[in-house]
Amino acid sequence: MGIIHRIRRSLSVRVSLWVVLFAAGIFVAALSFLFYQSREAIRQEAINRATQILDKTSLRVEGILNRVEVASNMTRWLVEQHTDNPGTMFVLSRDMMLNNPDFYNCSIAFEPYHFPEEGLYFSAYTKHEGDSIRTIQGGSDSYKYFYMDWYLMATLSNKPCWTEPYIDYDAPTGTYEMVTSYCQALKDGDGQIIGVINTSLSLNWLSNTISDAKPYPNSYSIMTGRGGTFFVHPDSTKLTCQSIFTQSLEHPDTAAIALGHAMQRGEEGMKRMDVNGKYCYVFYKPLGKTGCSMAIVCPESDIFSGFNRVRHAVTSIVCAGLLLMLYIFIRVITRELSPLHQLAEEAEHIASGQFDAKLPDFKRIDEIGQLSNSFADMQQSLVRYIEELKDTTAQKASIDRDIRIASAIQMGMLPDKFPTRADRDDVQLYASLTPAKDVGGDLFDFYFRDEKLFFCIGDVSGKGVPASLFMAVTRAVFRTVSVQESMPHNIVMTMNRTMAGMNKIHMFVTLFVGVLDLPTGHLHYCNAGHDAPLLVGDGIGQLPCDTNIPVGFMPSWKYTPQEAQINTGTTIFLFTDGLTEAMNREKAQFEMSRVNEVAARALAEKQQEPRQLIDRMTDAVHQFVGDAEQSDDLTMMAVQYIRPKSDVLMRERISLTNDVSETRRLNAFVEGICARLQLDNIFTARMKVSVEEAVVNVMKYAYPAGQRGEIEIEAAANATRLRFTITDSGKPFDPTIQQQADTTRPARERAIGGLGIHIIRQNMDSMNYERADGRNILTLRKTLPPLTANKVKKLKG
Amino acid sequence: MKTTIQELDGKMIAMLEGSLDTAAAAETEEAMRPLNDVEGKDIIIDCTLLEYISSAGLRIFLGILQNAQEKGGHVYIKGINEKVREVFSITGFCNIFEFIS
Repeated sequence: MGIIHRIRRSLSVRVSLWVVLFAAGIFVAALSFLFYQSREAIRQEAINRATQILDKTSLRVEGILNRVEVASNMTRWLVEQHTDNPGTMFVLSRDMMLNNPDFYNCSIAFEPYHFPEEGLYFSAYTKHEGDSIRTIQGGSDSYKYFYMDWYLMATLSNKPCWTEPYIDYDAPTGTYEMVTSYCQALKDGDGQIIGVINTSLSLNWLSNTISDAKPYPNSYSIMTGRGGTFFVHPDSTKLTCQSIFTQSLEHPDTAAIALGHAMQRGEEGMKRMDVNGKYCYVFYKPLGKTGCSMAIVCPESDIFSGFNRVRHAVTSIVCAGLLLMLYIFIRVITRELSPLHQLAEEAEHIASGQFDAKLPDFKRIDEIGQLSNSFADMQQSLVRYIEELKDTTAQKASIDRDIRIASAIQMGMLPDKFPTRADRDDVQLYASLTPAKDVGGDLFDFYFRDEKLFFCIGDVSGKGVPASLFMAVTRAVFRTVSVQESMPHNIVMTMNRTMAGMNKIHMFVTLFVGVLDLPTGHLHYCNAGHDAPLLVGDGIGQLPCDTNIPVGFMPSWKYTPQEAQINTGTTIFLFTDGLTEAMNREKAQFEMSRVNEVAARALAEKQQEPRQLIDRMTDAVHQFVGDAEQSDDLTMMAVQYIRPKSDVLMRERISLTNDVSETRRLNAFVEGICARLQLDNIFTARMKVSVEEAVVNVMKYAYPAGQRGEIEIEAAANATRLRFTITDSGKPFDPTIQQQADTTRPARERAIGGLGIHIIRQNMDSMNYERADGRNILTLRKTLPPLTANKVKKLKG
Repeated sequence: MKTTIQELDGKMIAMLEGSLDTAAAAETEEAMRPLNDVEGKDIIIDCTLLEYISSAGLRIFLGILQNAQEKGGHVYIKGINEKVREVFSITGFCNIFEFIS
């Protein structure tokens, strides 16, 4: 595992291994071929050599055997010349042995009583005895030669032959010797067999002679007779008593049997076979006409010993060479690649964030040098990019933070306090705004001025920061303009002019502006390209809206004023297109039909109060959209009007002309009202000055100078409030939008005028202007002091 | 509405009596006109008997004050009742006039 890991980790080891493996492959191929060829050559050489030796040995053996035969024949001829002289037999026998010192013995034996004078036995027997030659008469009662094999074979077959090996017992010395004999019958002139001449060769001697023929140190020769009997074998115990087949009787060995048969048949050849567990080459050849066969057994290990030595040496050298090569390669490649290692370490440093790490200078111009240079370039670029990235990230974080703050500012701009039932009994209102991004382009706003609810809803084209800026501008302009203007179409027109003047990027905002007169439920409104609001009250219906055009790009557009009477309990539901165009995953839109459905259901369940309605609508949209991303800002606002119950306890009127001297009558009227309500002096003075200022204002501005006009004042009171309604039929004039007087400036800078309105606002709870039926209606309201306090003050006074 | 102007110890003293409403404003302004011609003298407007004042009356007071300040004079208001003081205070006039008792 460790080694594999190291190989995988180290390029030098891997490359070296590949090279060495490749080299090893080539060596194996080349050496295999060489070894195979050499082996074949050696084998061939061994065959040649063995065959040569075999031929030589066989020639020699044949020579010996021939010599035996020739000597035997010659002696036979001589014996047959002197068949009547026993003494000659000893001489002939002795001569034969003298002439052939390598023969073992020689017997010239005769038929019983052939020489009557010699008795039953006569055999001239000569044998070497050390360096001398001993010749004796060999037949005796203890050695009845005519029963011997050699004697019987010669006489019975009546032709010369070689005996199978047998043990010759030498009576005088008492020694045994393994011999083979050439025997032939002696005949007289009539052809009658008279004896046998027998010439023996010591098998021991023959064996030694043959054994000299040793082509290899451990090779040996064997010689078999006709029946396969071993004549010559290095293991002398096998001689005469074992044949070549003996061993295969116990262990069947086809190779050995085949060899035996081949040798018996007198064939010549070579066999490779297992002999006593060793592979040997056996070369065999018949020995002339003796019927014997000779074989040389050469152990394979002998034949190939030199070859194997060379092979082992070469293999060892090659292996050692390859190992050395591997070592050197690893060292060389490691040294060559060591800069890469350094580079890798530096790269790790750089990767860990140390961009100022110094790269080593290898002063090389090869690929590694190029790599090092490229790496240095890369490092510099990296440092630069990282710096840029840091800046960019920091900038982005800063922008994100700014956007979050902007979002908070934007949300802070929108009113988040909605009047509760405890706050107001005449109107309920709720709104919600969900931007699609951090900042959005939708807006809504509302506020109460005098007895009016000013409200608007708008949708700036586009989304995100630009839309949000435009939204902020729109909302600010709405507030600024609506403070000085009570008619929605005038508010929208002024906003349009103002915003078109500063709109250089062609953004626009669809806007719906409404002003609901709370005492009467009269709604003035103006639509600038926005979705028409829904009225949820006596059924569901859309508020009829002129489309006009969105605000912000055509300053000259004349927006049309519209008005409607809102019944008590009716909810005005305003929304942006984020509601109708809310999309689910399937890109289907929420549609107006669903808005209507939700509203209808809410109405049916008497849940049309602003908060309930918007919550229901929000739930419905969420259910519809599911987990799809919000595509557009979604804003809803609902206004429910509730007409205050009228419980007027007192109502009085007075009619005046537009003459300031009429203020005396007016003051008397107001004093009378206050007196009836048992109000104290201070309260009375406040009412007096307020009503006087309001009426004088109308006298001054509603009618052109010199034009006579009527002004009607109605005073009405219930248990809690006192109300003055000042009505005239002059030109439209809204005192509530007069510039407020600045009461903090020094005398020199103070304008004369505007103080009257200021006094009214300070003294009264509300001052409300309405233009209806061609008349200006100005309403002043004041909460009466608690009855108990009133009484206490009166008692004091 | 009754307006009396007299000089006492080098100071011009205007006595106002009654209700200074819009109807009375023109008349009172006319009666107070001599105060505009005064050079280098302080003016005291005695409101002890002034019952009521509207913005038209305040306008007359402001006119007198601006005129006097241009000439380096002072305008003092004396003895205003609670109702009138309230109008002064609502309009911020209490900040620009000097009051004496």
